[in-house]
Amino acid sequence: MSTKTPSKEDILRPINTFTKKYVALYAVATLALVAFLIAWGYQLQQGLIVTGLGDWGSGGGVTWGLYIGAFIWWVGVAHGGIILSAAVRLLGIDRYMPVARIAEITTIGGLSAAGFYILVHMGRPDRMVTSVLGHFHITVNNSPLVWDVTVITAYFVLSATYLGLTLRYDVVRLRDELPDHFEPVYKILTIGYTEKEDEVIEKMVWWLAAAVIIMAPLLLHGGVIPWLFSLLPAMPGWTGGIQGPMFLSIALMSAISGIMIISYAFRRAYNWEHIITDDIFRGLLLWLGFFTLLFLWFQLQSVLNGVFLGPINTSKAAEAKIAHPVYRVAMGMIFLTLVYIFLQGIRPALFSKTRALIASCVILAGTLTEKILFVVEGFLHPTFDIYRATPGEYFPSVIEFLSLAGTAALVALLFLNLSKLVPVVELHAIEHLRDDHDQEESPEAKPDEVKA
Amino acid sequence: MSADDESFHPLGQEWENDLEDMLDDTEYDTDLGMEMAQDAMRVTKGELSEADFHEMYHEEMMEEFGQDDRPTEEAYEEAKKNAGGFAEMLKGLGGDGEDSRRGVMKKMGAGAAVGIGAWGTTQSGDEPSVSAAEAGGTETNEQGDMQWGMTIDLERCDGCLSCVEACTEENNLDQGVNWMYVLEYEDGGPDSSRNRLVRPCQHCTDAPCEKVCPTTARHTRDRDGLVLTDYDVCIGCRYCQVACPYGVNYFQWDEPDVSAEAIADDHSEMDGDHMHDERGRWVDSRAPRGVMSKCTMCPSRQDGFSGEEKVGTSACEDACPPDAIQFGDMKRETSDPQRYIDNAARGRALVEIDSSLPSTSDLEDALSGADSDLQSVLEASEDLTEELLTVMKAAEIVTENFGEDDADSVQYEESIIEVFDVLEEHGLDLDSQEVLVELELASEPGEDEEFEGGNEDDAQGALEDYAGSPSSNFKLLEDIGTNPNVVYFGNEPGPNAHQTETPVAYSDISVERADGSEIELVDNRKDVLDEGTVGDAGVSL
Repeated sequence: MSTKTPSKEDILRPINTFTKKYVALYAVATLALVAFLIAWGYQLQQGLIVTGLGDWGSGGGVTWGLYIGAFIWWVGVAHGGIILSAAVRLLGIDRYMPVARIAEITTIGGLSAAGFYILVHMGRPDRMVTSVLGHFHITVNNSPLVWDVTVITAYFVLSATYLGLTLRYDVVRLRDELPDHFEPVYKILTIGYTEKEDEVIEKMVWWLAAAVIIMAPLLLHGGVIPWLFSLLPAMPGWTGGIQGPMFLSIALMSAISGIMIISYAFRRAYNWEHIITDDIFRGLLLWLGFFTLLFLWFQLQSVLNGVFLGPINTSKAAEAKIAHPVYRVAMGMIFLTLVYIFLQGIRPALFSKTRALIASCVILAGTLTEKILFVVEGFLHPTFDIYRATPGEYFPSVIEFLSLAGTAALVALLFLNLSKLVPVVELHAIEHLRDDHDQEESPEAKPDEVKA
Repeated sequence: MSADDESFHPLGQEWENDLEDMLDDTEYDTDLGMEMAQDAMRVTKGELSEADFHEMYHEEMMEEFGQDDRPTEEAYEEAKKNAGGFAEMLKGLGGDGEDSRRGVMKKMGAGAAVGIGAWGTTQSGDEPSVSAAEAGGTETNEQGDMQWGMTIDLERCDGCLSCVEACTEENNLDQGVNWMYVLEYEDGGPDSSRNRLVRPCQHCTDAPCEKVCPTTARHTRDRDGLVLTDYDVCIGCRYCQVACPYGVNYFQWDEPDVSAEAIADDHSEMDGDHMHDERGRWVDSRAPRGVMSKCTMCPSRQDGFSGEEKVGTSACEDACPPDAIQFGDMKRETSDPQRYIDNAARGRALVEIDSSLPSTSDLEDALSGADSDLQSVLEASEDLTEELLTVMKAAEIVTENFGEDDADSVQYEESIIEVFDVLEEHGLDLDSQEVLVELELASEPGEDEEFEGGNEDDAQGALEDYAGSPSSNFKLLEDIGTNPNVVYFGNEPGPNAHQTETPVAYSDISVERADGSEIELVDNRKDVLDEGTVGDAGVSL
């Protein structure tokens, strides 16, 4: 632990500073987002022909590609983020409290990016309201895409409520130090606040967290999205009960990696070594290793089910999957990261924040690649693969690649904007860390007695 | 629900009681409602005419509701011309749109409304997905007693791509949008000469594409079971293409080549515009940009917009030179596809002999002066061989109501009957023991037995000897549970089957479309789509 004592001023620093680096980052992110918006405009004008997609079957293409792969990936990041934050609140894992709000904002950002991808991917996004909402009462009974949109919306509401409730406590107490030009926002955020509500809010947040933890494996990345693929009997690359756990493990891997990267950035920018401590990175890295292990295990299960005496369609799909160079590279990267994480677990000297950062980036790249490949490969090896043009061809177009930059920029802008408005580290976390410090200084206190 | 309870309603007594309670809760007359419901059910069963039904309750309706917009007899004839039928008319009872249907039901009395609801499922073609889903009928679509579909005799297909060409022309499709697709394949066996597959949309009864659709754009038309895409509703998410195990969907990635105006102009002489079906939904011809398309089984034809004679035909069926495609109602025993399924050898023989039948006038000329015994007749006519006559007679023996049903293939039978008539007039008794035994379509009776006429087994044997019997019939990927409505005759492609070169290349066929443009067919659409990809890297994942 650092010897510095965390203070209110620390968490207010992002709000009350304005640096050239911030402006530069903001400019880059805006540029990336605008570039993609222009590209999307062109896509709306020309049609989806500007992508590398095509019709599977006689058409020699794949129906879904990077857009859907990235959509799933963002949803994964989002879901993993909220699960992490809920675990902190529900199980009282106070160690990660300083990054809980970052995880929540990551969820909001991830869901926004995913929602944006839904629109980008559609042929007629203008009909979203009339066609989808207009028939919701019918389609919600069958269509996994409608369940998907429903669940994502539910999660967005849940996460936003969660974030909004916890912000009230902070904003009221820090109001004097917050900039006046955002006064209307703070007023809305803290509307009707009384001190009596703190206890109630804490309970509400606890229940929300409980709901998140229960719903996550059933409905989200462990549920609806894998179902969307795995229930289709004619696409052996997707089918199978393993997809639920697989998706959930990827979600958690991606989320932990994402949160580590964002936390690293904040720590570096605002000298938060004593708030987002090395200890947090070590802990997150171990969790990352755990979920990576699960993920690789699920991958092994799904591949093994095909390659050894599998049904013809499943074995073709599985063999093609493990033979794919991109799959091998992605799995190789993920496996090597796992090796590193375990080694640093055994020999703590191997840990460094930079290495943790690299590990996170590798995992994020690996999961994104795996997700895109997962989507594409379903179309490459369908059960009915009689067509000469099957497996089809697909490589993302420039516009599709640009969407990755655009959505990443969208999430970055969310952080850049929110960090000027509200503290991204909770006041609770600071209070808690200060308690820890006090106790460290009084040797007779036992860690068990620490109370938030 | 049990079959023996006394309810008039197909859903049973309990349901009826619930409805009665519902009616009691309204301000309107329960008895009238229930009575009307009962009679509405009778109308659906055909025991009572619509006009009589309207007439019967006109006064009571006026008394109870102060209005009765249901047409009385005079008005009915007029109204019948508009699609939608009775349920549509009832909506007029204070309703102003589809959402108010429920409200109307309440106003009319739920009992009557339920009778009408039942009617809707048997007759009305309106709002298919809505009514089906509200009835909880998501597993198997509740459909009328009609289901368009086809049989395709792969052993008769010669891979000429006429069907693909006709489909492209009929629907003004872009290059590579092969709603109908024909392919040759190898399957590991020594002889792949008969390995061919013709692949339209299978118009599945349990269509996965429809189940996954987030909008109800992909729907089954209640009236006739066609699986269609409402181009005005589709959002272009492409999940139908993902869920279809056959790969029959083609997305409209960019602006279609042929404009809607050009299509409408091209069909100005017919009733519809070849885009909107009888319900007014845009489901036919090529899709507009950003939505999904696939083989439609020609709704404009089925709705009678192309003339009565085109009802029950499809563009591909019409175009097929060897008549390998039989299009029709799969739920009718006497439809072309069902007759083909019933007896494929017969179906083939009818097609094959049709072109070699002698014309009646030629036959009359040839027979004049000849004796009336079989040998003399066969000698006198050059065109009429013994084999041909055997097949003709065999077809008659195995067919119930020969020449009498209204399937397209009955025209073959009619031609045969005409020839038979000439022969009978000449004095040759085709049903005599002598002739049938000579043609080997009956055996000599034993000493104490009476001659029983033509033997069906012998006749069937003769047909099979002549036309061959298909090696198998099958539905594509039947075990996936889609209940397809296309039945194939011939070799079923195995799981390792893979496409090879077609005898006629797609690029060898050119098609003229509604706007006068002429295109060559394209096999692999990706070749066309790649031209529009921004930054096509030329590599693939």
